[in-house]
Amino acid sequence: MENTHLIQLSRQVALRRELDVIANNIANINTAGFKGDGAMFEQYLMPVARAEEFARPDRQLSYVQDRGSYINAAQGALQQTGSPLDVAIDGEGLFVVATPQGERYTRAGGLQINAANQLVTADGHPVLGDAGPIQFQDRDRDITIGRDGTISVPDGIRGRLRVVTFGSMQELVKEGSGLFVAPDGAAPLPVANPRVVQGAIERSNVEPVTEMARMIDVTRTYTMIAGMIQQQSDMRRTAIERLADVPL
Amino acid sequence: MRALYTAATGMMAQQTNVQVISNNIANMRTTGYKRQRAEFQDLLYEHVRRVGMQTSEQGNLVPVGVEIGSGVKTVGTPRIMTQGALSPTGRELDIAIRGEGFFRIELPDGRIAYTRDGSFELDDQGRIVTVDGYLVQPGITIPPNASDLTINAQGQVSVMMPDNVQPVVLGQIELTRFINKAGLQGIGDNLFMETAASGAPQDGTPNTEGFGDLQQKNLEQANVEPVTEISDLISAQRAYEMNAKVVSATEQMLSTTSNMSR
Repeated sequence: MENTHLIQLSRQVALRRELDVIANNIANINTAGFKGDGAMFEQYLMPVARAEEFARPDRQLSYVQDRGSYINAAQGALQQTGSPLDVAIDGEGLFVVATPQGERYTRAGGLQINAANQLVTADGHPVLGDAGPIQFQDRDRDITIGRDGTISVPDGIRGRLRVVTFGSMQELVKEGSGLFVAPDGAAPLPVANPRVVQGAIERSNVEPVTEMARMIDVTRTYTMIAGMIQQQSDMRRTAIERLADVPL
Repeated sequence: MRALYTAATGMMAQQTNVQVISNNIANMRTTGYKRQRAEFQDLLYEHVRRVGMQTSEQGNLVPVGVEIGSGVKTVGTPRIMTQGALSPTGRELDIAIRGEGFFRIELPDGRIAYTRDGSFELDDQGRIVTVDGYLVQPGITIPPNASDLTINAQGQVSVMMPDNVQPVVLGQIELTRFINKAGLQGIGDNLFMETAASGAPQDGTPNTEGFGDLQQKNLEQANVEPVTEISDLISAQRAYEMNAKVVSATEQMLSTTSNMSR
């Protein structure tokens, strides 16, 4: 009967992990360019622990295991901000950021210009264009960013934002600070016709209602399983009491 | 359970967000005020099962990993340096900048601060000063018997003298611009200071080389949009509530756990 507990425990552990994922989604509900995470579960056949208390042939036990959390790549809503250095990608693609650790990718487009006149992210990492970092001149003003990511000032063109994509968003690993890192061997492909929107930022794609529903589901299931474990425990106790009741 | 602390970071972030929004709303009628926006980023991820790892000797790879984030952090509250609306006041010493640039103000300790608030006054010696009495650079002194003070779009200050038919030019108000205006540091009193991030100040004449022009008898209103602020406030408040719900859900799960063994 221990096996019942083990199966239920496997589900409870997975549920706690899922609540952690939901908590992170909700914490980032106002984070620009944030992509929510989902959790995936899988049946895990456990060949070792077997039911030994019944006369029927042994059957494998199926445990629950969380095998993956996937990145929800859905588009977040675009919010107009009016700031000329706020950019959002409408549709597929990621901006390329040069960090000291190497190239990183992001959808968070609240950009700035640093003291060296380079276009940088909120963390100060240069945003890359087709020909490296985007460099402005001292007297540049009225910065216009076109639909294809071309950055121009009245005196001329200052570069074009590199917008890339990967075969699947799931290949990417979240690194925090709104950045994604590509695993070794995954080469970024340029997006043929990126749609860059100036004066807007992409909001988090976390759906509050979905996350609340998931959260209620998780807590209720958790309570339900706890109740089942309690029942098992009661059953066991009753059995011991009754069976061990030595008649005088 | 990590969810408890993750939700706490979410609540703290939204608290900051509400603080920034309330400061914007409080300064809705402050001349030359530029609104701020709180920006957030996600925190570190724990990779329980890393994507791209080998699952067999044949080279099969994990297609999706398990990554669990640990919350949110505030990374910055950049100022949105867009133009505010001009409102006519009729006062001779009210000047608004239409376009790029800041007025240069000399602080009592000799440092230079920058402002978009052009509601100036005259001091006892006839110099143009801010409402706090700080000298507007370069110092321009208006003679006591002058009348009809005019400041044109290029920043030339001229007056009519009693014994002269032609206006007399007294001086030139200059503007300063920065490549990264959002990197200026607000010190209160509508003043900004230069920082390493703002870049070096570039001085120039209004209405030339991309500098804005001056509008006398006008003031620049704050660029706070009430509708935006209120909708941001609602979304921050809801986000705060939802994070609080996560805390209570976690608490419920923990109490279920502790009640399992009666």
